[in-house]
Order: sequence, then C-alpha cells, then structure tokens
Amino acid sequence: MTIVLRGVMQSPVTPLKDDFSLDVPTYERLVDFHVRTGATAISWPHHKGESLNLTIAERKQGAEATVKAVAGRVPVSIHVSALAVEDSMELARHAQKIGADAIIAITPYFWGPSPDAIYDYFVRLGTTVDLPVIAYNSPSYLEGVEITGELIERLLMRLPNLIAMKEASFNSEKFMEISRVALKVRPSFSIVAGVEFLAPSVPLGCVGSYSSAGAICPNLCTQLFDACITGQSVKARELQFKLARLWDLFRDQYPSSLKGGMVVMGRAVGPTRPPLPTATKERQAFIAKQLEELGILDTEPHGW
Amino acid sequence: MSTFKPGLVYTPVTPFTPDLKIDFSRFEKLLEFHLRNGAEALAIQMHAGESVSLADAEQRKVLDMTIKQVKGRVPVIAHVSDSGTAIAAERARYAQNAGAAAVIATTPYYWTPPPAMLLEHFAQIGAAVNIPFLVFYSPDEMGGAKLSTELVLKLIERLPNFTGMVDRSLDWQFMINIVSNAWRVRPDFQLLAGNEYMVSAGAVGATGMFTSLAGVAPGLVRELYKICRTEKYMDARKSQEQLVEVLQIVKRAGAGGLKGAMRMMGRDCGQPRPPLDPLSADGYAKLAEQLGGLAILGGEPRGW
Repeated sequence: MTIVLRGVMQSPVTPLKDDFSLDVPTYERLVDFHVRTGATAISWPHHKGESLNLTIAERKQGAEATVKAVAGRVPVSIHVSALAVEDSMELARHAQKIGADAIIAITPYFWGPSPDAIYDYFVRLGTTVDLPVIAYNSPSYLEGVEITGELIERLLMRLPNLIAMKEASFNSEKFMEISRVALKVRPSFSIVAGVEFLAPSVPLGCVGSYSSAGAICPNLCTQLFDACITGQSVKARELQFKLARLWDLFRDQYPSSLKGGMVVMGRAVGPTRPPLPTATKERQAFIAKQLEELGILDTEPHGW
Repeated sequence: MSTFKPGLVYTPVTPFTPDLKIDFSRFEKLLEFHLRNGAEALAIQMHAGESVSLADAEQRKVLDMTIKQVKGRVPVIAHVSDSGTAIAAERARYAQNAGAAAVIATTPYYWTPPPAMLLEHFAQIGAAVNIPFLVFYSPDEMGGAKLSTELVLKLIERLPNFTGMVDRSLDWQFMINIVSNAWRVRPDFQLLAGNEYMVSAGAVGATGMFTSLAGVAPGLVRELYKICRTEKYMDARKSQEQLVEVLQIVKRAGAGGLKGAMRMMGRDCGQPRPPLDPLSADGYAKLAEQLGGLAILGGEPRGW
C-alpha cells in the first residue's frame, strides 16, 4: 500500500464546455497528454483543477475519469479537500472505492482551525481510508494556517499511511523544519514542492513537484527536475528563472491564465468557472507573446 | 560603481556589561574572534547586534571602534536603519565618513508605508552616500512590510550604488523574482542570504550570506558557505541541516538565545538590553543541554 512520488507530477486542469459543464472527453485527452509527456504521477483536482468550483458529484465523476484515463500507468491521487469536512470524508471513501492510489488534502478551509483541529481532521481522514495520505501545506494561501513541524510529527506517529507532503510555503525555514522533523520519524517520507520551485528545494531533499506549467511546457518542467537532481546548478537556475516568469504569468487568477495559455499551445480546455474569470482574447494574445519570448512555442509540443 | 561582493558576512552581537553598558573591550575581542574565524566582511549593529537598542551616539561609537579595530582587514558594513528617513540617511553619511565600506537599511520601523513611500525612504538613504547601499529584507521582523520586484527595479534605476539585497524572507519566489529581474538591468546585482539558509538562496543566485551563528559555530558556517560557493548544493545539505539544527535551538530559546549560545561556547557577551527578555537561568540550562547534545559542535572553537 505505498506509492513512490518522484519527479514532475501533474495535476491537470479541469476542461469545461462553453456552458461550463465538465468536458470529460477532453479531460481524458489531457490526462493522456500528461502521462505521455512525462508525468510521474497524476493528482486531481487541485485548486488548479478548480476543485472548489466543482460539485461533489462532479468531483467523483472526474475522479473516476482520472483513474480510467491513467489506466495504471502512473499513480493517481485524488484531492479530497472540500469546504465541509464531511464532503472530504465522502470523497476519500469514494477515491478508495474507485481504485485511486492515494488521497491528498489541505488543512481545512475558512475556519482558521487550531493545530489540534488540524490534527483531528487528518487523523479522521487517514483512518477513514486504507490509502496513502499526502498532506498539503499552503500557509500563505490560508491565512497562516499551516502544518508545523510539531504537528507533522504528531501526525506521523499516529498515521502509518501519511507518506508525503505537498509543501507550498516556498520558504526555506518552513521546508527544512518539516523535513527535519518528518524524516526522523519516517525516513521514507516524501516532500513534494508545490509549483516548480525545484532549484531551491531539491538540494534539501525535495523529491519533485506538482507542476503548474506542465500543460504548457512539459519539456521545460522535466529538464528543470533533471538539472536539479543531477546537480547542474547553473542550468537549474536558468530554467528555474524561466519557470518563475511563467508562474508570474499564470498565477494571476489561477488557473484562468493557464487555461488561456493552453489555447495558445493548441490544447484548448474551455472556460474557467466563476468567480474566476476566463482569459479574454486580449489576455491570450498577451500570453502568446510572452510564451514566444520565452521560446516555449518552439520547444514544447503543440496540440494533443 | 565597481562591484561590491561582501561574501561571507558575520553580524556580531553587541556585548554588554552586567549593567547593560556596551562592553567595548569584549567587543574588540569578539571582532578579533570573527576575523580569525573566517569573516570576509562584518556587518555591525544588525538586529543580532541589537541596533535598535543602541542610542544614536552609541551606534556611532561602535562604528568608529569597529573601523579602528578592523584596520581594513575586511570591509565593514554599517547598518543604518531607522524609522525616520532623514535619521537613517544622516547615519549613512556618518558611516561613509567613518570609513564604512557599505551601508545597509531595512524598511522603516513601526510605519507601514505603501510602496511609493518605501521607495522614497530607500532612495534617500542610498542617495546620502556614494558607497554601496544594500537593502535588508526581513518582512517577518518588520511588520510584514513587503518589497516588490517593481520597487526594487525602480530603486536600481534611481540609485547607481544600490548593489544588492540581503534576504531574510526566505521566500523562494521573492528571491527568484528579484534576482532574475535585477540581473537583466544590473548584472552584478548581489543577492545575499540574510541568515544561515544558504542552500536554497544560493541555488537561486545568492553569492553571499549574513550570519549571526558565526559567533557560535563559525566552522560549520564556513563549511556550509564554502560548499555553496562551489554551487554543489546537493553536497551542502548535511551542513545546512546541521546548522539549522543549531539555529532552531537558539531560536527556541528566545531573544537571549544567541548570546546564551555564545556564553555556552565560552564567549560570554552578557544579556540583551530591554525590552528583550534576558535568558533565565533555567532557559540557559535548557539551551546548554540541547546544544551540548549536538556532536557537531565538538569541533567548534571554545572561548576566545
């Protein structure tokens, strides 16, 4: 009951039809694209996949489509975070039932939970399913609510199936504190960077990243990971700077601009659900210009 | 302006007598200790040196004493931060006349100015001198005052002597954005790690490091820095983790932790001045026990 997380993992966006309903055939195509272009794991629906704008029924439908489209080629984890904790438990049970390989969950939204409440939440989640659990830490997006070193230590003592963390603080001290504590309790524990912040994290033991730009430039993402893991520091820095520019381009009302960029790359996936805007034609043109400047149009696959 | 590359910068504490006066003879001893143990530059009266707890006249006296004692063996960087722009600018002028190699300033204390006011604050301090001017970025200590890439680029445009940024945000995204953009307009712009988290900072372009732990474990500090300057960040992980272990123990001991750790290493510099809490006898015993348990401190110099 374990999976290995390493390299550039992809969390696909959620393709939508013009009427904002799920576009399952395009989604399956996208998943297949990711696997063919080097994804070492698939995880859905992260915030990039508009998780919080999907109904629970849609999330189950998408989860099933993910498992089916990946067809065992790489591990699949299902993101189960929802506003209501009860929904998260339901999504977790569903993930197990349909044959997902792991679940991933962020700290509960909105309420500003105490460390004890976060502990209870993850314990409940981890004991509800018999699947590996990946904890997702994102203090800057959640008003400072975070999984501290102390908390991860308690959780690791309690949950044998807590195998990894998606660490999205992008902060040296926080990363190292998690790593310091977690590896003592569980030497096999994996820390995965959110977004492609690999140059600063791989030397500290980060095993890979959940990609932000993988639907645009899978080659660049893979090259960055390879440069980092083989210790080519100067090359890694150059590639990291390029990906940071892309992140600046896409983070704006994420994933609207990312979906806009996918149009440019010949992989249109439809609009973004409100309250997020959909990238306008002007925004797409701006993105196209930036992608051209960065050389992405010449070096990355166009179309499916 | 020729490039100023500060390299490995030690930030001494300010030794106090039991009645909390500056202990100048101990200070001279400390400077000599730092010089013998690898300082490539000294930045005096940083926050580790309790800058804001020193009266203006004391700061000047400390600077004069330092320059006299160092006798040009390494560059001396003067920290000139204050709440009022004119006060900081005047202190910068004094530092230049006294023979400082560079000045450094952070966002103004207490005020939380919008970007335009921050720009003006830095621009006036930097323009007060024609020696190199460094900006110290430490948002957690400074009420969350944020610097943006845009502000940094404007400051580069305004100030020919704005030669670098000392980062203590530990924020990968910030460092990457600042240095990748700054290098396009000022290729020799320096990024320096603002404390001992050198691996991630170095991987994204930092070429120097400010360290207060040099008073505790200069051997370990130097080793980490040396490996990082060869850009073999994977090889630096062990030293980085060891140094962070020391750092976290010192941090947990509170405001008096750094001086407590120095005392434990046989280099007593007294207690911090109010309003910082002194380290209690119990606190010291706990700190000494934790540090005493670290085998890695075995090779570090004891005493002066």
